[in-house]
Amino acid sequence: MSVFWFVSRQLAAIEAMATSKKVITREEWEKRLSNVKIRKEDMNKLVMNFLVTEGYVEAAEKFCMESGTEHIDLATIKDRMAVKKAVQCGNVEDAIERVNDLNPEILDTNPQLFFHLQQQRLIELIRKGKVEEALEFAQEELAPRGEENESFLEELERTVALLAFEDVSNCPVGELLDISQRLKTASEVNAAILTSQSHEKDPKLPSLLKMLIWAQNQLDEKAAYPHINNLSTAVLEDPPV
Amino acid sequence: MPASASASTNRPEHLIFRLSSSEGEAKLKALKEMKNQIIGNRTKKLSYIKIGAVPTVAGILASAGESDAFLLIQSAAVIGSFACGVDTGVEAVLDSGAFPHLLRILSNPDEKVVDAGARSLRMIFQSKLAPKYDFLQKEKMEFLLLLLNSENENVTGLGASIITHSCETSAEQKALCGAGVLRRLVSLLEGSLNQRDASLDSLAVIVKNNPEVISKFVGPQSGRTLSAITELTKDRCPRTRLLACTCLIVIRNSYPCYLQDIGIKTKLLLILLELLEEPGQVGDEAPFALANLIVEKEDLHKLAFEVDAVDKLCNFLQKVPAQVKRFQGILLALAELCSKLENCRSRLLSLQVLNSITDALTHDSAEVRSAACICIRSVSRSVKDVIQNLSAGCFMNEVMITPLVQLLHDPSTSVQVAALGAISNIVVDFTTRRVTFIQCGGVKQLVQLSKSMDSMLRLNAVWALRNLMFLADNSCKQGIFLELTASTLASLICDPEPSIQEQALALVRNLVNGCINSIEHVLAEDGIILNAVGRQLWSTSYTEVWVQGVYVLSNVATGNEFHKEAVMQQLLPQAGDCSQSFIIKFLQSNDNRLRTAAIWCVVNLTYPSSPEAFSRVVKLWNAGIFSQIKNMDDDPCLDVKFRVTTALKQLTFGDSST
Repeated sequence: MSVFWFVSRQLAAIEAMATSKKVITREEWEKRLSNVKIRKEDMNKLVMNFLVTEGYVEAAEKFCMESGTEHIDLATIKDRMAVKKAVQCGNVEDAIERVNDLNPEILDTNPQLFFHLQQQRLIELIRKGKVEEALEFAQEELAPRGEENESFLEELERTVALLAFEDVSNCPVGELLDISQRLKTASEVNAAILTSQSHEKDPKLPSLLKMLIWAQNQLDEKAAYPHINNLSTAVLEDPPV
Repeated sequence: MPASASASTNRPEHLIFRLSSSEGEAKLKALKEMKNQIIGNRTKKLSYIKIGAVPTVAGILASAGESDAFLLIQSAAVIGSFACGVDTGVEAVLDSGAFPHLLRILSNPDEKVVDAGARSLRMIFQSKLAPKYDFLQKEKMEFLLLLLNSENENVTGLGASIITHSCETSAEQKALCGAGVLRRLVSLLEGSLNQRDASLDSLAVIVKNNPEVISKFVGPQSGRTLSAITELTKDRCPRTRLLACTCLIVIRNSYPCYLQDIGIKTKLLLILLELLEEPGQVGDEAPFALANLIVEKEDLHKLAFEVDAVDKLCNFLQKVPAQVKRFQGILLALAELCSKLENCRSRLLSLQVLNSITDALTHDSAEVRSAACICIRSVSRSVKDVIQNLSAGCFMNEVMITPLVQLLHDPSTSVQVAALGAISNIVVDFTTRRVTFIQCGGVKQLVQLSKSMDSMLRLNAVWALRNLMFLADNSCKQGIFLELTASTLASLICDPEPSIQEQALALVRNLVNGCINSIEHVLAEDGIILNAVGRQLWSTSYTEVWVQGVYVLSNVATGNEFHKEAVMQQLLPQAGDCSQSFIIKFLQSNDNRLRTAAIWCVVNLTYPSSPEAFSRVVKLWNAGIFSQIKNMDDDPCLDVKFRVTTALKQLTFGDSST
């Protein structure tokens, strides 16, 4: 990816000349920047990769048309998003059925993910106050998984503990009922579906930004130069003189 | 109960009834229900298998028409799930006759049907119970190529799984290579993520231990494939990194001229050490790959030591790994790492992980117990400085000895063998600490195991006893001998396995080394042991057995008149028997050790200060032994040469002119 080349090349060039801290003016810096050629197609691919991985179906569709990047099977993104949404809304059973329709291997070969989905189902039952049903479900479906794996058992005990508190919003395991728990489970399913579709589970863009920050930090020790501090605007800010 | 609204119709028996009695939508619905119940749920799978669900579903798959895509997809998915992760499920699926029908639907025009069939077949081929695929049959090979050349990712994945499951012999490896499978797999390295992983997995199987295939694989394109795989060791996906490393390790271990430069070795080490940190399967398998990389290679042990491999592996032991496989792998990797180099062992000892390893001796899993024994054995395979400085204190304390002795009763034979291996190393040369071992009842159990039906157990038990006997004091020897008895020893000397004969003779050799009292033991019960030694020396054809046997005689011949005469009886053929003494054959042997042992025996028998020396010299002359030794004054082995000079002096009573 050209952006990586850019960062590391800049770094190497500056490393070579700097023994004491060198000051690079904005003009000089922008000249250097404009010397780096980044192919438009690579940038587009990077954006597309982000949209697809994060599941922005409509945006991906539009971007695909406008930028002319290679055709992506949007149906698989839609299926994946439907699963994710189902978990986020608490319809875990529905999500499980959809995953199994998509590819039965995913939950059959990924015990941890399967357990987390079942655990989420239990959490939803408890949320709705269906105590008896929750207990039956825990015993029937989750207890056997706990026997197979010690760490599952611990998580199961933590979850069942929700039933012991009058005021669940204020109990030590209350965070299980939090919306963040749903999001956690949803992103775990999302990643597993991506992997099963031969797609990397994380978009490339965030790690590229992490790399940018890392490179700036490295560079800070050797030179003063215009910084990108706000990643959402990517404005170059002059170095403190 | 509110929850049971659907529970009664969901009951396994009822669902099977609905499957077999309904039609159309209802049947499809029942199939889907079963699928969603069993996926990820081992218990449900087992209960459905028990009440005969598999044949019912297989029946649906068999009778569904080509155009009935939904029914084909759902029934194939259910069958695939039954075969996933449960051996009895694979058995039930194969018995149900579903296999040919799954193959049939691979040619269905609907891509989703093909996906379902390929996935289910892949599940089956991931089990060791799957039928072996015969690559040597022409049409089977053609079918495999068809699979591998498919556009469908699940179908190429199936092709790769078939290879990984079934390719074993070098003939099969060559056939696959000749048919162009290798080329196709290499091109799949550039395919999707899943295709890449599947390809790496099968490539490792096809090239394993087969230099001929490897040379075809890396030859023509002058290493382009190798560099492609090397590139994949840096991939973002940890699983791909591990598979690429494994593939390179297999190539390296089977074809030593590749990947020898220090750069790639260090790189592989660093990648694998990093992969140890991965959660899940990758982290569980990484220590095994690491052990394979460094197996029996001192240079790699050294490199590994330099990149802190001992510390990193030991870190994992501080907090006991929850996964059995990972725990086992880490112990085995440490065992390999400590098998040769002293600095690795002392580093491990200084990191205070010995307690964790000792605790692993009582782990629930037999694999972990066995790996802990192998690790202890490796760490205790040490020269004196480590022994004296560190291990003398920590090894031979009861904390470790007691569980090791208990493992001699382990239900798993491989654990028993591993425990014997550890004990063999620990008991050697610890004159004062042997008592602890004996007090724990160790000897009693070793003797029991030396009578086992399993030859590996017998061998290792006798070996441990041999080491226990090495330079032991007299009371210790006495104790062991009383437990073992002369008749057991005699029968071990005559064991059907030559390796056990050798160890038994070495044990006797250690027993009679030293004071006269201990020599008496081999003459107990009318010389039953010595007779057994003599019988073996006359009858066997194994050099190792001869060497140990002659040393026994040689050690006995250092005793008194009576002892020396007993040896003479074994040495010389009985009157009327015209065959030549075995000692002449041994003196003529090409094996330095055997000649040395034989000449020592003659020297001890003819030691001039003993009263009957003269009569023995005469007998040896008559047997032709003197003239044989006379020819040996220019022996290439210095040790032999010196003894020959002594022997000649004694045989001619100092008159070297004869």
